Amino acid sequence: MSARTSAGESNYEYVTARVRSRRAKLFDEDDYRKLLRMGTGEIARFMEESDYEAELNALGSRHSGVDLIENALHRNLANHFDDLLRFADGALYDYIARYLRQFDAWNTKTVLRGLYSDADREAVEVDLIRAGEFSDDRIDRLLSAGSIEEVVTLLEDTRFGDPLADAYDEYEERSLLVPLENAVDRAFYEGLVDGLPNEPDRATQQYVDFLESEIDFRNVRNALRLSRSGTDMDPAAYYIAGGRLFEESEIRSLVGNTDELVARLRESPYGDELEPLPAVGLSGVRVRAREDARGRERPGDRAGQGGRPRRRNDRGRTGDPMTDRPKPAGTQPLSMGEP
Amino acid sequence: MLETIPALTEIVLQEGGGGSAAIPANAAAALAVGLGALGTGIAQRSIGAAAVGAVAEDRDMFVTALIFTALPETLIIIAFVTIFLVG
Repeated sequence: MSARTSAGESNYEYVTARVRSRRAKLFDEDDYRKLLRMGTGEIARFMEESDYEAELNALGSRHSGVDLIENALHRNLANHFDDLLRFADGALYDYIARYLRQFDAWNTKTVLRGLYSDADREAVEVDLIRAGEFSDDRIDRLLSAGSIEEVVTLLEDTRFGDPLADAYDEYEERSLLVPLENAVDRAFYEGLVDGLPNEPDRATQQYVDFLESEIDFRNVRNALRLSRSGTDMDPAAYYIAGGRLFEESEIRSLVGNTDELVARLRESPYGDELEPLPAVGLSGVRVRAREDARGRERPGDRAGQGGRPRRRNDRGRTGDPMTDRPKPAGTQPLSMGEP
Repeated sequence: MLETIPALTEIVLQEGGGGSAAIPANAAAALAVGLGALGTGIAQRSIGAAAVGAVAEDRDMFVTALIFTALPETLIIIAFVTIFLVG
């Protein structure tokens, strides 16, 4: 387990003060409007005058255009999250870390996809977000791994170890990456609400709610995709326990019946956030993240990364969980796919 | 056991009698100051942590942070007045 057991009491005051101060430096709505009218070069210059200066200078010689902006944002994000983990003590560290492990999951999947598609090390490296709990050393070793088996061995002592080892057999059998990626996802999501206090106080309860809705979103997306793609994959294999929305037993029938699934979503606590669009059907359902609750997008959704909240929009994605498969090597970002 | 308590208090009150309180006035004042200081410490603990965090992010916050950190000092100053009231 890579988790550091952090001693001491939670230092909420200190961490909150620092985070608030940093949040105040994010681009606000006016900046956003300005950015909308700019080209990539101008955006880069604009960022250079803001908090992102250090990252832009460091990366300026190696990248340009969109790549530069994206990498600078990635690196900035990673720095901030690293700082967060460095500041936090005690239970607070655990709360932050359990959410940031999504970057570990993200990095693991990116490395796996890179190996699967024979991408070169450079291409994989730029898509990593070094924000999770994995040390730089571990990430470097992952990058230098020559085979998927090696990656699985390297991660043996982490929370992804056992699930990956189990999924590896299936990967060998069918040489599909999906079982491995699914294993990583499940390990992350199931660890998300694992071991939280049983009777949390009000503040902790809100965080637990947030994590549970995170699981719900993932379940909903998987269900919508499976339903849309009409594959005969077993939905239960993609079901993640711990959410509030679905039970494992019902997901199979819901995936088989799109209308029922949509109706179910409308009745759910998230129903108020759903926006009916003219075209009814799956594409008419827009699963929106609760912006106020999140304020930040997950790694794969690109563009949301400056800390600017962006609407999650699942509309028009025809994908199924299979879309998580790697893009052909060379053709830029593996990060185009969802995590 | 319980029925002996009234008798016991009787004795204690008689022993400590003669007009003097169980705690001498000076000691009581000292206690009041001490407890006030404790309260100040508890209040400053979290304010101080937040203040250092804010200053670490932005040095311009220093004066504001200092003022807010010093605010709970009023507690101990008021407790300090007790000494003069009693003494």
